[in-house]
Amino acid sequence: MVILLMLIPLSLVLLAAAVGAFVWAVRKGQFDDLDTPALDILRDDPPAVPTERDDGAR
Amino acid sequence: MGQEVAEIRTAQPDSQPGRPKSDRLLGQAGAVDQRVETVCYHCGERLPVAPVRVALSDEGHLFCCHGCATAARWIRDANLGDYYRLRSDAGTRVDAEAPDLDAWDGEELLAEHAVPVAGGREITVLTDGMRCAACAWLIDRALEHTPGVFDAGANAVTGRIRIAWDPARTRLSAVLGQLAMLGYRPYLAGDPAAERQRVTERRQWLLRAGVAGLGAMQTMMLSEASYLDFGHHMSMPTRDLFRCFTLLVCTPVVFYSGWPFLAGAWNGLKRRHLGMDVLVAGSTLLAYIGSAVVTVSGGPQVWFDAAAMFVFLLLLARLLEQRARRVASAQVDTLARARPAVAVRERADGTREAVPLSALRVGDIACVAVGEAVPADGELLDAQALFEEALLTGESHPLTKARGAPVFAGTHCRETPARLRITRIGTATRLSQLTRLVEQAQAQRPPLAQLADRIGAVFVAGVLLAAVAVYLAWHWIEPSRAFEVTLSLMVVSCPCALSLAVPAALAAASGALARCGILPVQAGALDRLARATDIVFDKTGTLTRVHPVLEAVDVFDGMDEARACAIAAALERDSGHPIAAAFADEEEQLAVEELTLVAGQGLAGRVDGVDWRLGTAPFAAALADDGQLWLGDGTRAVARFSMREGLRPDAANAIRSLEALGLTVHLASGDGAAAVERMAATLRIADARVRQRPEDKLALVRELQAQGRTVAMVGDGLNDAPVLAGADVSLAMGEGAALAQRAADLVLTAPQLMRVPAAVTLARRTGRIIRENFAWAVGYNLIALPLAAMGRVTPGWAAAGMALSSLVVTVNALRLMRRPREENRSWSSC
Repeated sequence: MVILLMLIPLSLVLLAAAVGAFVWAVRKGQFDDLDTPALDILRDDPPAVPTERDDGAR
Repeated sequence: MGQEVAEIRTAQPDSQPGRPKSDRLLGQAGAVDQRVETVCYHCGERLPVAPVRVALSDEGHLFCCHGCATAARWIRDANLGDYYRLRSDAGTRVDAEAPDLDAWDGEELLAEHAVPVAGGREITVLTDGMRCAACAWLIDRALEHTPGVFDAGANAVTGRIRIAWDPARTRLSAVLGQLAMLGYRPYLAGDPAAERQRVTERRQWLLRAGVAGLGAMQTMMLSEASYLDFGHHMSMPTRDLFRCFTLLVCTPVVFYSGWPFLAGAWNGLKRRHLGMDVLVAGSTLLAYIGSAVVTVSGGPQVWFDAAAMFVFLLLLARLLEQRARRVASAQVDTLARARPAVAVRERADGTREAVPLSALRVGDIACVAVGEAVPADGELLDAQALFEEALLTGESHPLTKARGAPVFAGTHCRETPARLRITRIGTATRLSQLTRLVEQAQAQRPPLAQLADRIGAVFVAGVLLAAVAVYLAWHWIEPSRAFEVTLSLMVVSCPCALSLAVPAALAAASGALARCGILPVQAGALDRLARATDIVFDKTGTLTRVHPVLEAVDVFDGMDEARACAIAAALERDSGHPIAAAFADEEEQLAVEELTLVAGQGLAGRVDGVDWRLGTAPFAAALADDGQLWLGDGTRAVARFSMREGLRPDAANAIRSLEALGLTVHLASGDGAAAVERMAATLRIADARVRQRPEDKLALVRELQAQGRTVAMVGDGLNDAPVLAGADVSLAMGEGAALAQRAADLVLTAPQLMRVPAAVTLARRTGRIIRENFAWAVGYNLIALPLAAMGRVTPGWAAAGMALSSLVVTVNALRLMRRPREENRSWSSC
């Protein structure tokens, strides 16, 4: 059970890292708008010419 | 604008959404496009008779106006055509004329609202056209393409755009002009410090919830070790090691994440008020301190996980509630709209110019039209004028002010236009000083939520008493379990479900309404709308389009047509009356003195030394009423204006839907019998009242109320303001007079009457969900509390039950955000 002496503090380090990452993300405004950035991935690669298919899908 | 409005074709009330006509249009325009286009490609409004046709790519599209066409062409040229594919709501109609944005370059405005950042300055502006995430996406991309802008962010949830630009490379007005060209008009977002405060607060809540979530997970992990140790094989030192680390992880959750509850409880205790926070903080601290004591002294059980999970789930529920409320409140930013965007300043030679608010100086003379808001504090120059100061004082009756009396920004001018000398501007005005107070008033919770709070407080006191009683009882029966049972009782009794039942549902409903273009302005409006049994419609501007079209002018007594139109235009110019738009194109501007509004009859005023009356035939020319607009001196007619007003395309459908919902529809109009009866017949409204003055309309509402009916009123004009205030619940059309909107409970942001039945449906669903939530919260507590008191619930199960209870209530409320399938089609135009 001596391994616990290493594993538990290790989990705390990971927890601290997770909290740190979260704090950084919130401070950077990553959670301010959750909808708009999601649209970026739906965009065609340029040049994006609206085609018949696009309009049909809309 | 006037020109375009004039082109809008009168809708046939019985027609399918304009199909035959559009087919013909397409035939004329060429058969490239196989689909039937009846609405503008950009803004989704119905196409006028002569739509603008633009070939965006290999196929053409039809637009309602040049503004929309320009926006669409720019979007195509900037390679952002995906906007049309990504958006879930139609865009905003773009005014063809670019608004005057020069004021935004003023150093005073920038000093007040922009903050210096590395490389330039940054400002946050509000816009009203952002309807979905794709709008924010489009704005982000558009600003990226704009030279001189090095950082930008649009937030569709809050309706705010953050722009950082380099003043050396571009002017702010050019950047904002770009946005206005796309249909997003900028507004000042109020105090920048308050804006930053808002963002900081929101992030703080998010941080608390995030830390609580991560901490609670870890606490659970560590607690799991002892829970899974069925045979008690774990050695004492190992167990104590786990407990020490759990204590370490749990501490920030209780004291950092749970700080709002601790502080709230402390404040509550100081004011001797037992709120939710007292119970929350009490049970959290009890679990935490009890566990800490056991950790040190080495007892059999710890409850760190219960404390951490409790804090986390409560924060999660609050976060959801805040999010839903933010969506609604950001869009109903009434404060930003209370200040007029543009002030009318009188030049030294007596002519008028529209200037941005920030360009007004102390000593300027400002003109305020009837129903408009006063731009800055000042003193009255006219002999007498009426101002409604509801925003400042809460008094809805207009006050008569004499020459030299102080007039405050944000108050509304009534009955006659007024001229003022400005005495205080910007942040020195009474309105700005009261901004904070008004914001607090906005945070006022609706009566239903207050009732829930009161029930909650009684409930908390009861639970605390029960906890003491149970502790004493168990101390007598079985002392070793007394603490555990008491803790279970306090955790399992779910105050959150009870307190969330109403606010979560109201917040979700507000969000759903706002998304559909209905802004709930007053707290408690939804509740009353759900109970409405009768609905009274105004005619002009509500069932019909706002802007009537001038069809013919007949002149008598040697008056020439142009002169008659010029006089009528001068009289109507400041009235804010829907008819004014029909004369808006008149170029010749005549000065008017002593203009008075005779409600329900017309306008009187002096032009070039001659007294004129414009209005109904008996009022203007002492003739029998024929429903037309007459110009005369009170005894003699000189001109008759034949107006044509178009029924709104969805009026008939909306009225059928309202009747299907069981509402009795009434029509009350200030117009003559012929026009009203024709319309009542077309729309099949049984109860139509003609020639109704505001007092008559109010009497109708009172009469219905006396019969025990709950009356909803839909109106838009100045005349409607007292009736809107007198009805149980009122809806105002967003394009009507500002005054009517101020008096209304709900505002329709776009003139689509189908939104009225949609609002009623949603209000009723909200009422149902609130009842469900209450039933669940009360039922849950009735079952859980006795079980816990009997010692049948362990603290772990109690935490799970409490969490489940809160989540059920919240998720049930969030169902309101979803559009029911059968309504999808009728709402798709929202």
